[in-house]
Amino acid sequence: MADKDKMAKYRTEIQQMMFVSGETGEPAAETTTLIESIVQDQVQHMLRECSALATRRGSRAISTDDLFMLIRHDRAKISRLRHFLQWKDVRRSVKDSDDKGGDAGADVAAGDADLAVGVVAGSGPGPEPGKKAKRAKVDLVWEVQSFFNENPPAKDDVEDEEEEEMNFATLQRLKNADERTKNMTREEYVHWSDCRQASFTYRKGKRFKEWAGFGVITDSKPSDDIIDILGFLTFEIVQTLTEEALKVKDAEDLYKKTTGGKPENRLKRKRERGLFDPPEEAREPVQPSHVQEAYRRLQRGNNKARAMLNFSRHVHRAALKLI
Amino acid sequence: MSLAPSLHRPSSRERQHYARLPNQPLSAIRLRTPNPSMSDEAMSNGSNNNNMGDGPDNLAEEDPRAALFREHYARTEARLMAVLGGGSKLDAPDALDGGTKPLSELPPAAHDARPPVTPKKAARTIDEDDYGDDDDGDEEDDAHPSPLLSKSAPNGIGAAALDTPSLRIPPLSNKLVIERTSTPSSELIKSSDDVRKKLQQDKTAAEDAAKRSFHTLFYTLENDRDAMLEQQKLDELDRQVETEMSGQPAIPTTNGAPTIPQQGTLSTTNLGASSLTLKHLIARIDAQRDMVHASDAQLRSLISEVRKNRSKWANEDRIGQEELYESMEKVLMELKAGEHAHPFLQRVNKREAPDYYNVIKHPMDIGTMMKKLKQLQYKSKKDFVDDLMLIWSNCLKYNADPAHYLRKKALYMRKETEKLVPLIPDIVVRDRAEVEAEERRMRNGDADADGAEDSDDEEPIMASRGRKAPSKGGKGTSTARKAPPAGLEGTPGPDGKPAVPSLNNAVSNLKNEFLRADSEMEGSINGFSTPPPGTLTPLPNGILRSGAPGSQADVSDVDGTGASVSGFTLDSEDADLDDLEYKTWKQVTKKDRALIAGERNRLFRGDHLNVEEPAILRSRAGMRRWLRHRKQALEEGVTDGSANAPDGKEGVQSTANETLAEGIEGDEERQVPDYYDPVSTIPDINERLQWVEDSEGHVIQQVEEYMRIVPKGYFTAPTSSLSKKVESNMRQMQETRKICAKIGIVKQMQLQSQMYTNQFQKYDPQPFVEADIDPIVVSEDGAIMSPYVCRAALQRSVGKIFYHAGFEEFQPSALEAITDIAGHFFQKLVRSFGVYQETPKMKCDTPITTPEGLTTNWVPRFSREEAMLHCLNANGVDLETLETYVKEDVERLGTKLAGMHDRMRSHYAELLRPALDSSAGADGAGAFNDGSEQFVGGDFAEDIGEDFFGFKELGLDKEFGLTLSVPLHLLQNRMHNAYTTQNPTNVSTTGVLMEEPTKFEPVTIQNVGNQIGLVQEWFLAKLHDNNNDDLVEDEDLPPKQRYPKPRLPPTGKISSPRKRPLREQQQMARKKRKLDEDKDDNASNENGASVNGNSFSKGIGKPIGKLKLDMPAQKENQNVPEPEKDDGSAVGMISPESILAA
Repeated sequence: MADKDKMAKYRTEIQQMMFVSGETGEPAAETTTLIESIVQDQVQHMLRECSALATRRGSRAISTDDLFMLIRHDRAKISRLRHFLQWKDVRRSVKDSDDKGGDAGADVAAGDADLAVGVVAGSGPGPEPGKKAKRAKVDLVWEVQSFFNENPPAKDDVEDEEEEEMNFATLQRLKNADERTKNMTREEYVHWSDCRQASFTYRKGKRFKEWAGFGVITDSKPSDDIIDILGFLTFEIVQTLTEEALKVKDAEDLYKKTTGGKPENRLKRKRERGLFDPPEEAREPVQPSHVQEAYRRLQRGNNKARAMLNFSRHVHRAALKLI
Repeated sequence: MSLAPSLHRPSSRERQHYARLPNQPLSAIRLRTPNPSMSDEAMSNGSNNNNMGDGPDNLAEEDPRAALFREHYARTEARLMAVLGGGSKLDAPDALDGGTKPLSELPPAAHDARPPVTPKKAARTIDEDDYGDDDDGDEEDDAHPSPLLSKSAPNGIGAAALDTPSLRIPPLSNKLVIERTSTPSSELIKSSDDVRKKLQQDKTAAEDAAKRSFHTLFYTLENDRDAMLEQQKLDELDRQVETEMSGQPAIPTTNGAPTIPQQGTLSTTNLGASSLTLKHLIARIDAQRDMVHASDAQLRSLISEVRKNRSKWANEDRIGQEELYESMEKVLMELKAGEHAHPFLQRVNKREAPDYYNVIKHPMDIGTMMKKLKQLQYKSKKDFVDDLMLIWSNCLKYNADPAHYLRKKALYMRKETEKLVPLIPDIVVRDRAEVEAEERRMRNGDADADGAEDSDDEEPIMASRGRKAPSKGGKGTSTARKAPPAGLEGTPGPDGKPAVPSLNNAVSNLKNEFLRADSEMEGSINGFSTPPPGTLTPLPNGILRSGAPGSQADVSDVDGTGASVSGFTLDSEDADLDDLEYKTWKQVTKKDRALIAGERNRLFRGDHLNVEEPAILRSRAGMRRWLRHRKQALEEGVTDGSANAPDGKEGVQSTANETLAEGIEGDEERQVPDYYDPVSTIPDINERLQWVEDSEGHVIQQVEEYMRIVPKGYFTAPTSSLSKKVESNMRQMQETRKICAKIGIVKQMQLQSQMYTNQFQKYDPQPFVEADIDPIVVSEDGAIMSPYVCRAALQRSVGKIFYHAGFEEFQPSALEAITDIAGHFFQKLVRSFGVYQETPKMKCDTPITTPEGLTTNWVPRFSREEAMLHCLNANGVDLETLETYVKEDVERLGTKLAGMHDRMRSHYAELLRPALDSSAGADGAGAFNDGSEQFVGGDFAEDIGEDFFGFKELGLDKEFGLTLSVPLHLLQNRMHNAYTTQNPTNVSTTGVLMEEPTKFEPVTIQNVGNQIGLVQEWFLAKLHDNNNDDLVEDEDLPPKQRYPKPRLPPTGKISSPRKRPLREQQQMARKKRKLDEDKDDNASNENGASVNGNSFSKGIGKPIGKLKLDMPAQKENQNVPEPEKDDGSAVGMISPESILAA
């Protein structure tokens, strides 16, 4: 059962994340275990790749750039990540400047960059301009400033566009969250916001490192940034998986509905038809099969990786794809 | 027989004409009676000669050339007359000829009309006509209407009549013209030549006709085998004759005649046919004969050695042999090569015809004749002709059956013979000794026989030609089987004339015999005795006509016999006879066909290919011939299908200018159609590539039509909005990098106390230009297949993308790798596109119309767009990615780069600003306070290209014609000073906190005593080494001579093998050391820099003037307490380069 223990390390977190991602029901333990193992696999894969990149760079320690490099093709994710990192920086400076509300600041910080931005974007008053100015710019290695060997000090008004882009990506997320929370009661919203704080890494750094195989896969001591990025990414993974699994489940349900399906489905359908039926309790949670299917879909590569093998007899062996 | 006399002959002839003019009042009348004209000719000759002999006075009206000739002639004649007494007899046996010759051959009316108009010409014309009437009339009959002949034949009557006399060559055939005097005999030779020529022309005309049919008709190859077999037989015969001949030596020619020294004219000597080439030499020698101290014989032998082209028959001692045998051989060859000669080639075998020799008493065959010819057994033409006729008559006699196939052949051959016989000059071969003896004799008798025998006067001219073989002709005729009539026999000995009449008679006698033998030949026989106009004409038409009656006569009886005996199928013969054209063709081409068939036959041994046999190769000449024929055929096709007359000429002309090396190749023309020579065919060339000449012989350049220069930009990126954007991005990057470089320089200046020439390379990137390929000419449409260039172009594009992606420079290997990958990828892309394009078509319900206007139910599976999208998808590219690339990586990159550029500029401006310190004042005038006139004018270096004061912006540079950039060193000074002032930490530590201790007194020879005793010795030694000069402190030494400072480890202990220190200690030590060094550096930098300005102005030697270095106050403070820094040690800090650079 050691194995099971090991596997089940993040059950609640995953459940919370899934809840945030739209799964209203109570996912089964198998589901969370499956998701956990998937996430673990992904994280370990990332670490491997990162250490490979670092080695190629000539350093032993992996850096954030390596992680950026791994997800470089997913522009939206990159944007969100940069956004996250920026606000993390803001939080840190806030914490530094006024040491008073360490707890509170941390609480806000944990997974809530989104919220903070939401506040900024939506209602304005959130962080003051001074803070904003202090926000560190997270540069990507392949961005323009790396073209030149001089790095002039940034001007304030330059990166509006990029910020817009980053905001756009997070706003999409926030919009979804907004949709979900629209009809919630106060308690529900509290629960929901509690769930939003779920993280693989926050305040469980040691557990995470062990879980992710630091020291085994890469022997360097990861910086806090890397742990945070990984925490962010793991959350993203769970979210993506859950959303995809829900899509799969919806499609299955729709199919069952149209084809008649089994009695219990009919029953469920009847119940669903009811105007006053509470939606969440009634809904069945995502099954492991749905997750598997979602994973399969997410792993399905496009032809790009195979392009150079066209007209040859080589068999394409797809590498693990980052979700 | 030599043609040497003929050189002289025309002149003499013409002389005769002119001379004769007054003597010939009756010529116009004689016109219609050829016979009298002959005698008249003779007579006139005689009288002419007499006149000549008398005196050359009556030649007043002649042209100078003629006069010259006549003068020569007169002189020669006079001399000859003096020397030689002999004259030749002239008789008039023409009566017989006149009797036999028909009157039907009348000269054309034109000739009749001419004499009254111009009497002079009339006389000449009449002469010509006389000859023509007698012998050539039959030919000329046709010659007149035929433009071909009249054009090509130099001896046509019309042409002769119109030409100047000297050019005219009378057409005479030796058949009828009888050798009598030397002049006529020369004419005779000439005329025989002419006849030969004419026959040759006829032959060529026939060949031409046949050749024309090459293009229009295709003859089967079925006769080739026969032709080949015949040819083989002929060759065999030749060989046989040759071997037999080699067995027995040739009959020795009598050479006993003593050479009597004579002073004759050389021109009269028999120098052979080719003495033409020596004409002038001979004429010259003749003119100066008395100055040449050599006998005629010597000269003769000399010249005969010199001249070339003597035939194998030439024999100096056998007069006339060369000519006679030449022509005889030719005739024999002609006959032998004929189509029907086959049965007559060899002696009749007794096994084949056991009773043959019972019937035939005098067997004869062509082979035997060849042998006789080679053995020089023929003495005269008559001998030869008799033998020939004997063959045919033997055949006719033996094969009495009218239906016998051989009869036909014999008849045909006889006809051929009759046609060819006129070719042979009527010459009787005589020994030189005999001739000379006769000459002597005649000379003796000449004195009294002057007037009586007309032709005697001319005799000396031809004396040595030896035409007059006494009684040889008679002998010749006697050898013939049928003796000539007595009338002929009775002709006096010395005259060779009887030969021809006798021959004529012989022929006619033969004819009679033939007639007796087979009555069916009456047509041709009659034709001979009273020749129908067509029969004897050797024109192409003649062939037609002569062939036609025979065939008509024969076909009826030949048909029945059917069986083919000797390889001739009756059918083919029949066909011959029926189809004239075919027959001509067969004749003309026979030999060549045979040769070709033989060649091919040799390639086979039994049923198998003979591997050892050399292959039939194509030859250049063959190909050229093929081309020419083709062109001819094309021309004919253009002009008209049936055009005959102009063809030959055109063909000749066109070939003439086309094939230059034709003759050089030495490959004689084959008279066969092109399909006999398939190896030589040349495949069609694209018209554009052909060598075509225009009317003036210039090559028509067809280059323009198909050559093209590869258009510009074939290998450069096409200008599209995307590429424009990319390029503008790249330009932007370059600009930004320039600023970057300047920033770097400025930063470096801030840190560095001094700078060196060329320390800062100006960063001046060149704009990117895509070089196109050099102009190249191609002849084909379509893409240029040049993998190397294509790859280079792709590589360049890849490089641009690299640069655009932010790499200023990159490893070549990376570039190579990406290029290969990209090329590979594009190959895949195009291949998959091809796959989608070529998907089998689908059947659809509604028919569509193709671009060609056809309706079809089959539509392509994918439209073009679909195929493209599929192919992109298959290769992992979708439109979104592409669009994102354009939007994000190109367009937005542009804006980002622009923003970056602005940031760089402002950053740079900020970096530069401190250099304009506050003391410069608001208008910057204070900046001149540091004694830098360079700001005002001169010695500016535009090293970093910065418009420091904005003068350029104001347009001052244009106004004053100045380069207004700041000298770098000035900028550097300011930069550095400003930087140090801006970083007060460094300055304050050194300047304020610690005072520099006073310097040690330098040790000199004077104060060395002040030192402690221990070191006094050492100092003394050092001083001694230093030439008793002052010792310099190590610190004051120029930097390079300084001893390295011993560095103490942080522990303060001098320990060589250090124990492993603690890490922290090490780090601390490092930090400390750095700190120390920084301090030192700053201090020295400051000092050095501050001094630099001063020393610079000193070093340059410029007057400092009132402008003082306006140092910041802090610096003044620094400098004041350290006056000693201004001495040499400080100067030593400045590298000489910096001064020079300034």
